Formats: sequence, C-alpha cells, structure tokens
Amino acid sequence: MDVRLERLSKSFGANPVLKSLDLTFPERRFVTLLGPSGCGKTTLLRLIAGLERASEGAIWFGDRRVDHLAPGERNIAMVFQSYALYPTMDVAANIGYGLRVRGIPRAERGEKVGAVARVLEIAHLLARKPRALSGGQRQRVALGRAMVRKPDIFLMDEPLSNLDAKLRATMRGELKRFHLDLETTSIYVTHDQLEAMTMSDLIAVMDQGVVQQYGTPEEVYDRPANLFVAGFIGSPPMNFAEVEVASDAGAPVLRLAGRTIPVPPQFDLAAAPRRLTLGIRPQDVRIAAPGDAGAIPGTVWMTELIGSERLIEVEIAPRLRITAEVKSEVRAALNAPAAVAFETTKLHLFDPATGLALRRRA
Amino acid sequence: MSAREIAGRTALYAVLAAVTVLVCFPLIWAFFTSMKPKEEIFLWPPTLWPETWTLENYRALLEGRDAYFQAGAASGTAVPPSAFFLDWFVNSLIVTTGTTVISTAVSTLAAYSLTRFRFPGQRAVPYLALVGYMVPSIIFVFPMFLVMVEFRLTDTLLSLILGYVCITLPFCMWLMWAFFRGVPIEIEEAALVDGASRLRVFWEIVLPTAWPGIVAAAIFTLIVSWNDYLFGRVFMNSMENLPLTVGVMHFFDGTHVDWGLMMASSVLMTVPMALLFMLLQRHLVAGFGAGAVKG
Repeated sequence: MDVRLERLSKSFGANPVLKSLDLTFPERRFVTLLGPSGCGKTTLLRLIAGLERASEGAIWFGDRRVDHLAPGERNIAMVFQSYALYPTMDVAANIGYGLRVRGIPRAERGEKVGAVARVLEIAHLLARKPRALSGGQRQRVALGRAMVRKPDIFLMDEPLSNLDAKLRATMRGELKRFHLDLETTSIYVTHDQLEAMTMSDLIAVMDQGVVQQYGTPEEVYDRPANLFVAGFIGSPPMNFAEVEVASDAGAPVLRLAGRTIPVPPQFDLAAAPRRLTLGIRPQDVRIAAPGDAGAIPGTVWMTELIGSERLIEVEIAPRLRITAEVKSEVRAALNAPAAVAFETTKLHLFDPATGLALRRRA
Repeated sequence: MSAREIAGRTALYAVLAAVTVLVCFPLIWAFFTSMKPKEEIFLWPPTLWPETWTLENYRALLEGRDAYFQAGAASGTAVPPSAFFLDWFVNSLIVTTGTTVISTAVSTLAAYSLTRFRFPGQRAVPYLALVGYMVPSIIFVFPMFLVMVEFRLTDTLLSLILGYVCITLPFCMWLMWAFFRGVPIEIEEAALVDGASRLRVFWEIVLPTAWPGIVAAAIFTLIVSWNDYLFGRVFMNSMENLPLTVGVMHFFDGTHVDWGLMMASSVLMTVPMALLFMLLQRHLVAGFGAGAVKG
C-alpha cells in the first residue's frame, strides 16, 4: 500500500516543524527519512503513525484517507528508538499484545507469536521480561511485535541507534531482509546516512521541515540537489570552495586559489552566475606532485588514517582546505608541499545565492 | 574475603543489629507487657520476660470486658472503654481503607494527567501540592473542623476520611507524578499503535508499570490515616465513633493508667500494619521499567 502526503504541515505553537510536504512512499518500497536532529523527520513519522495530529494537509494510505484515524485504526506497526517494550509483560505477551487487543483467540495468538519468534530466533526468550534481555534481543522483540500483525505500513524510528556498532551492522542487513520478506511499505527514520544509503530504495533528505531531495541513494549521492544535501550526504563530507567563472581564450574556466580548472563537460555555464560554489567529494580528489600541471598546490595541514584509507587535508589558500581520501599507503608529511587534483567529471557546482545545484546537461 | 573485609562486615552487622534492637525494643516491651498480669507489670525491678503468661488483656479488649476498673463495670454506671475496642478497630479500618482508596485513586489519575496532558499550570501543580503537604496539619485541622460543622459531618467517619484525603492527597499526587515521569510515554504510544484504546492503555500498560508507585502512595496513606490522632480528637466525640488512636487514650483514667490494655491495644494496632508491610514490601522494592526503555 502506498502512502501519500498532501500539503502536510505541522506546527508546535508558533514553531513550524513541517512545511507543506508533498511526498509519496511507493508500495513495498523501503523509504528513509534522513536528516539532522530537529529536521522534522520523527514528527513526520509520528504524523503517519497517528501519534500527532497534522496542522494542515492530508495523509492517504492507498485510497483511504487516514489523518483523522487513531493509530490503532491505521493498521501500521512501529518500532521505537527506545524499543518501548511493555515492562510488566513477558516477551510472548509483548509480541502478542496487538493480537490480544484485536481479540485473536489465545491459541491462534500463541501460534503466530511462536512463528515470529522462530523467524527472529528469540523463541527461547518468550517467557522472559524485557529487563532480562540484551539490547539486541529487545530490538528483536520490538521487531517481532511489529511483524506479528502483518501491518500495511511498517514504521521505524531510529531503531538501530541504541545498538553497538557491530550489532548495528548485523541488524541493518536483517531489517532489510525482513522488509523484503514482509513485502510491506517501510518508512525508516534515521540521521545515519550509512543506514540510509545501505538499506533504502528511496531517501528523502530533510532539513528544517522541508524535503530537500527525494530520490534513490545513487541520485542523492551523485547528484545532490543543493548545498545542504551535498554537505550532509557522504563521509567524509564534500569539500566546498568559492570559485569564479572566468574566460580563458574564449572558453569558460573556473578560477580557484589562483589556478584555473576546466569547466566540467556536464555543465553549461552560459547562464550561470559569475561566482559559484564548487563541491568535490574527498574520494574524487587526488594528491599530486606540487609541480603537477592542473593541480592546485598547497601544504599538508593534517593527515588521518581511517583504516584502509587516509584523509589528507591540504591548505590551498588561507583557511581554505581540501580533503583528499587516498589509499593508506600514500604518505604525506605535515606542512610539506603537496597539490590536489580534482576528478573534473565528479565536480558539483552550486549557485551560492540559492544553494541549488547547477543544472547539468541531459 | 580479606581480614579487613571480614572486620568491616562484622562492624556493619553489629551496627545494624544494634539499630534493629533499638527500633524494636518498644514493640518487644509492649508485647511482653501485654502478656503479663496486672501485678507483674508494676514489679520492681521490672522484668522483660513475663513470669506468668496471660491473655487477660486481649480477652478484655476483644470481649469488651473491663479488666482493670472492675468496680465501674460491676456498678453498671458506665460501659468500660475497653468495650468499645472492636468498634474503634472497625472505625479505623473503615477510615483507613476509605482514605487509601480515594487518595490513591485520585492521586494516580491526577498525576497521570499532569505528566501526559498539556495545560496551563501543569508544571506548577506538583510543586504547589508539595508545599501544601509541608504545612503542618494542626494548621488545617480547625478550619477543616468548621467546614465539617457546616456540612454537618462532625462525628462521622466520613469527616475523618475527607480530612485524611486532604492531607495525604497532595503528597501522593507528587509521588505518583514523580513516578509517572519515569514511565516512558513510548510504551503507551506503542500500545496505541498496537490498537488499544486510551483507557485500555491506562489500565493494561500504565497501571501495572506504575504499581510500585501506587503501593508506595497507598502505604503512605495507610500510615497517616491509621496513626493519626489529631483529626480523630478534633472531629469525633461519641465513644463508638472514635478511631483507635483516640479511643485507646480512654485507658488513661485520671489517676490510673491501664498499661496492660494499653500495651495489648498497641500490639493489636501494630499487627495489621506489620502484616501489610510484609505483604507489600515486595512490590515496593520490585524494580519497575528497567529494560523497557534503553536510556
């Protein structure tokens, strides 16, 4: 079942949290709401769940308008960040509570709970209380509670954020697997771009109550719509620098730190403003010899080893540093001269006035 | 365990044992005194262990017979005070139960609304309630008496129940408020998503989670209303309507004090409370919520 939001707004007092959102979550897709804290992503999820009332706009599940319905009438399931297990009930009762509320007979309930528990490998824990479970086990119980009811929509609010890094990596895969098995529309909230990139069919990048970009992980990564998305997606974050559009023998070029960079072929700068913001991901920056033609010289400001890669920050102008992500074998001494070269096809250009990405040639 | 640790443990247990004896001594003394015949109570030097064991005092209380002031009973001029002991006991039971039920129920609902619904003054109410509890009840008792007179409630058990509710409710509400603040709202939301109605969520999710808090509030109310003397003394006059605390003062009779009856009454007053504590302390101590929400 698809989920459609129409001009959905939410304010707390005079404080607008969501501003007239129009968004469609296609059927059976895994869609992630990604953004920094306070961007409105959790509020949006709670509106879809029915835990908050919208100030304006409509929410549709398929052809059923649901924004006036109580959470229990929407046939959704939700996994909370804190798991929110019922502390006085054992695991079996926790998982089966939704079925009990719906008046499913005890025997049938037991069967369904047992089946879900077997899938989640928590069948041996059914008689335990939540406080006797580890974080990962609680997480599974919370998932079990959501799965057992065969919901139309599966909502998850940062379900992995309380787990340690290793378990998080495992659960990421499992969540994705459950989604595929359940064949349910899933909406997932996170501030962790790695989770968003690895699990989602679609990502809605949110900031300040507005969807900044909505697209596949590849789209938001390769063609960020604006400066916010470009800076938020990707780790380490994208390098930004102010550049000037100049002309070199009739052909437009970009001037950065006294050097010229050829205009990437994907851009037509005829109608572009004279000053632009250039963006380049550290993965697309190469460390070149200081005398290398086409490279921008500078000095090494900082190096950091991050496992198989090394980050090298090169200061190419006062207070303008470019980070390059290179193989760990590449060494650079602090304060030594170095130069950076850009993979021009991977350059991003933005209008600094609006923050929007420059249109690319088709 | 090292010698140092053993010494530490020994010292700790010695101190605990001493405190226990100190706290329990009056109770032990009361119990043994209540089991002694009159002559033995005033023996000098006093003895702890009764030489002759007797249930005379208890019989006097429970059968309504006058044990000490035989002459008064024989002459038929007055009903001996001990004849009213069972009435007083029942009065105290009714008042205590009534107060506890009302106070706990109202404070639980009030505290829940204070933590879950937004309205003006939401933050101030619990603290104001606490301030209200800090005022000594002697200040309340006379204005309240005048109110009871106005409503023609003096000398009724209802007046006592209302009076005790007034003094216990604010603190109970504060206690439950502090408790509900620790109950994560997500578990209620999870139940709403699971399809339960608000009332059902309150009944099946919130109340069981808040149970230790409710028990604590109930115990507090029980102690206050069972042990109070002031309200009973001011609000009540008829012999048969008195609560236990005020009633047993009638065992002081001018020049005489019937220590046997007094001590037996003390024991009988303590027993229900002690039993209740034993039953409820498990719930008091029971950890709640741990594991429901990862903090």
